[in-house]
Amino acid sequence: MLMLKIAFRNIFRQKRRTILTALSMFGGFVMAAFFIGWSDGAYNNIIDMFTRNQMGHIQVHHKDYLDRPSMYKTVDNLPAIERILKETKTVESWAPRLYSAGLASVGEKCAGVRIIGIDPHQENRTTDFQQKITQGRMFSESPAGEVIIGKGVAKVLNARLEDEVVIVSQAADGSIANDIYRIVGILESGDEIGDRTAFYLPLSVAQELLVLGGRVHEVALTVQHLDDVRGVNRQLQQKIDDPKLSVEPWQVFARSFYIAMKADKEGMWIMLVIIVLVVAIGVLNTVLMSVLERRREYGVLKAVGTKPSQIVKMVLMEVNILGIICIVAGTAVGLLLNYIFSVHGYSLPEPLTYGGMKFQHMFSEINARSFYIPTITVIISATLVSFFPAIKAARTDPARSMRMH
Amino acid sequence: MWFYMKLAWRNMFRNKRRTIIASIAIGIGLASLILTAAVMRGMVSNMIKAATASFLGEAQIHGKGFRETGEVEQTINNLAQVTENLKKEDIVDAFTLRTISMGMLSSPANVNAVMVVGIKPETETFLSKIDDAIGKESGDFFKGDNPREIVIGSKLAEVLEVSLGDRVVLTVAQAKTGDLSQEMFRISGIYSFDIKEMDTGMAFIRIEKSQAMLGIGDRVHQIAVKFKNIETASLKEIPFWEKYSIDGNEAVSWITLLPQMKAVLDMTGITIGMMVIIMGAVVVFGIINTLFMSLYERMFEFAVMRAVGTRPSGMRKLVILEAGALGVISIILGLILGVIVTLIFTKTGIDYRGIEFAGTTIHEMLYPEMHITDLIFFPIGVLVFTLVVGIYPAWVAGRMKIADALRKSL
Amino acid sequence: MRRSTILSALVVLLLFPVSIIQAETAKVDAKEIVKKMDELYRSSSSQATMEMEIITPHWKRTLKMDAWSLGMDQTFIRILSPKKERGIATLRIDNEMWNFLPKTNKVMKVPPSMMMGSWMGSDFTNDDLVKEFTFIDDYSFELTDVENPQEGVVYVKCIPKPDLPIVWGHIIIAVKEKDYSPVWQKYYDEKGKLMREMFFKEVKTFGKRTIPAVMELIPTHKEGNKTIVRYLDAKFDINIDKGIFSLRNLRARI
Repeated sequence: MLMLKIAFRNIFRQKRRTILTALSMFGGFVMAAFFIGWSDGAYNNIIDMFTRNQMGHIQVHHKDYLDRPSMYKTVDNLPAIERILKETKTVESWAPRLYSAGLASVGEKCAGVRIIGIDPHQENRTTDFQQKITQGRMFSESPAGEVIIGKGVAKVLNARLEDEVVIVSQAADGSIANDIYRIVGILESGDEIGDRTAFYLPLSVAQELLVLGGRVHEVALTVQHLDDVRGVNRQLQQKIDDPKLSVEPWQVFARSFYIAMKADKEGMWIMLVIIVLVVAIGVLNTVLMSVLERRREYGVLKAVGTKPSQIVKMVLMEVNILGIICIVAGTAVGLLLNYIFSVHGYSLPEPLTYGGMKFQHMFSEINARSFYIPTITVIISATLVSFFPAIKAARTDPARSMRMH
Repeated sequence: MWFYMKLAWRNMFRNKRRTIIASIAIGIGLASLILTAAVMRGMVSNMIKAATASFLGEAQIHGKGFRETGEVEQTINNLAQVTENLKKEDIVDAFTLRTISMGMLSSPANVNAVMVVGIKPETETFLSKIDDAIGKESGDFFKGDNPREIVIGSKLAEVLEVSLGDRVVLTVAQAKTGDLSQEMFRISGIYSFDIKEMDTGMAFIRIEKSQAMLGIGDRVHQIAVKFKNIETASLKEIPFWEKYSIDGNEAVSWITLLPQMKAVLDMTGITIGMMVIIMGAVVVFGIINTLFMSLYERMFEFAVMRAVGTRPSGMRKLVILEAGALGVISIILGLILGVIVTLIFTKTGIDYRGIEFAGTTIHEMLYPEMHITDLIFFPIGVLVFTLVVGIYPAWVAGRMKIADALRKSL
Repeated sequence: MRRSTILSALVVLLLFPVSIIQAETAKVDAKEIVKKMDELYRSSSSQATMEMEIITPHWKRTLKMDAWSLGMDQTFIRILSPKKERGIATLRIDNEMWNFLPKTNKVMKVPPSMMMGSWMGSDFTNDDLVKEFTFIDDYSFELTDVENPQEGVVYVKCIPKPDLPIVWGHIIIAVKEKDYSPVWQKYYDEKGKLMREMFFKEVKTFGKRTIPAVMELIPTHKEGNKTIVRYLDAKFDINIDKGIFSLRNLRARI
């Protein structure tokens, strides 16, 4: 362990050089850690906000529903599913929905609409439904006879709050479903196309209208952390275990969005490679220089009998010890930085509009990636770069080394 | 001054190894910046293209209110004037006219609601990728001259259980009267984007046919526009939007049509900012490192200089100029490296199509786009940085006490 | 074809009555045969009580209704049962259609977009719902043979004239030689695949006319769908109060 002691002391002997070398390793580490935490955070922010807006992170459907939707492809045992969801701790909230098409008319005007039966309470909890109501109000406690329509629907029908809307549709038993409702709220979800056909009824009312008692078409749920999605999805698939149903994550039911995000993230990966490269080179630069500058010193050591292999070991050890110190320090600072930004977030100079929602405040993320990638980078680049000059130094004739400079 | 410059320059080359290593490091930093900027631009371009090139277009002109109601009577006003103007418009690369209406498409097996798009094949192919999305075995995009040709998506063909050459009936409601208009068509092309909405919801016919069926004479609902420069559409201040939003029309860019895309783009913009900061920081570290190392090593030399009468200001000048020299060398290296690498990628593209699902038919390679401004801006930035960073070591050099320095050794 | 199309097919048959005339001994020309068949139900006016049984994989319903028609342009239908739908009425004059729903007390004009849009989650074939039944003019006719021909039945192959908005490749009609009443109609796509069949059964005499009282429509390639229309009672060429074909009559309570 003499080697270790010497290595240590060497490090602290030449303070300035050590500090400079350490600075680049430390600085590079922190930068990389911060970048990863920030970009992962930003992406997850966007994905989260987009999915939470209406679709949720995971959806449960009849297994063929997504491919070819039909009124008859329902999720039948809602209570059982809700029980499972309640038990699963990582599930944050869920909302059951029923979908059908119908013809709505106000006065002389009519329009094709999408009837959406929602559980008001759950919908508020899961997708913050009532925030989207720009005129009027949410369903009351006894919501029979109430309807909330999308902005576009109101426009096409020339309808206002308190107007009466007649809806005609076909019920699940083939009979003609029709009823009359009062508009209590007009909604703007940010999804303009959706708002052109949105016709929200309380779930029980919709079920009665369409003779779909106890049945729904979709259960959308949110999880606490976006990263848990795949895991929770698998978990739920096992627990629900019904061959007629399928549990799918947003990557499947929001496929086009997923592809767009993925493409972007792939691009981000390139960025990461570049950053890592730049950090590596920074480390390379400093470590290389410091090792090369000490050739004379190595010459002396050899002259007094140090074996070449020992010199190599010593150099590597120095670099690695320094590296470890920097990594530890870098982790601490990086963690702190990412933590601050993940808790307090940062404000964007210009708000990001997405899905009709304006985001000004974004958050970084603390994750493993933001630490193990920089760590590997720093250690590998430092070790690699000190290896060859160390060997070279160890091999040079002592007399020549000492004469250098 | 000139003397110091010469001295600084020669000093740089005295310790070749260090200079080379440092300048390579900084040069790589610069090259990375150049590459990153180009890659980012390519990415943004790709994203915009993905969103707009398949069908939407970079900008659209409609009759006011059409976007919200979709009513067939809401056609573009003053069409002849608008098209005249568009033809003369410098920034416009191509544009095409379309009618858009809802309809029902029936086959012997089934019937489905579709968005009927009446198009002009000659101009449409420049704007949308429908023609590209038609496989070799799946027909073509109105290459023939049969007015009863119809092109639909693969999913729709599946639902209707039809294939090339089959007979279908299209029903639309006429403008004003609402009377139904029905015509027979034959499937002449089946496209596939692998995106459910696009493959199910649309049916394309010749514009003359749709205008006749809808009873709108030679009016149209939509003009899709493509600009020469893909970034034009994101500029809010250009006169284009106002110019075409008169007479009861409105011109909007894809940003309005696809607000989600904008969010992703803004994100990208911020990311570039971050990257520049981070790389700048790394470059700074590299420079400081090098300068300080050289300073401390040559302490003796500097002390001697002071001893023979060089004033502190001279010392400072020297150090800063050395920093500058380092900067210049680095810039040259960085530029060469950056340009070469980026150019290579510009030609070969970056292939990151290894996505889990089967690749979609429009999934493109990323082609970085290098702008001359990058090649001027970034190097100057690095040089300035270098000089600025050199101030601290220069100051230290100036403050050095001769006797202490002479005694110091590595 | 979906069950709803059958529904619509039947609604259409009620709204746009296929006319089949009394038998006349005439030359055995394919077109003539079809013409005579076509005229069997044509009348200046009619009133009928009918039952429509709709069978789908998901449910089974029987609607009972009264229907009046004047010429080819005006029709009025009122649903008598089941209870949920009792009182629903539909009026058609030329190309326009109105519905009355007693539950909401609303008269709704059926908009063109509803004719075409996805209504009630279903798909209405325009072929059936909207188009005037201009069979004679839209097809060319020739006599043909089938496997297992029946005694006393002629078979006519109907080929749509080019460029007409018809989805079928061809239709084969089986008509009784002596009175030109239809036996069955089979619809094929262009590739020769049988897509739907219509069977005419239980010939009965209603007043002066003898016509099949039961029509069965079966889409052959969708499992479990069938629609059956039964004339319970029918009167032809009678005096009908024009006031029946009015919006006011839609609202009349029964």
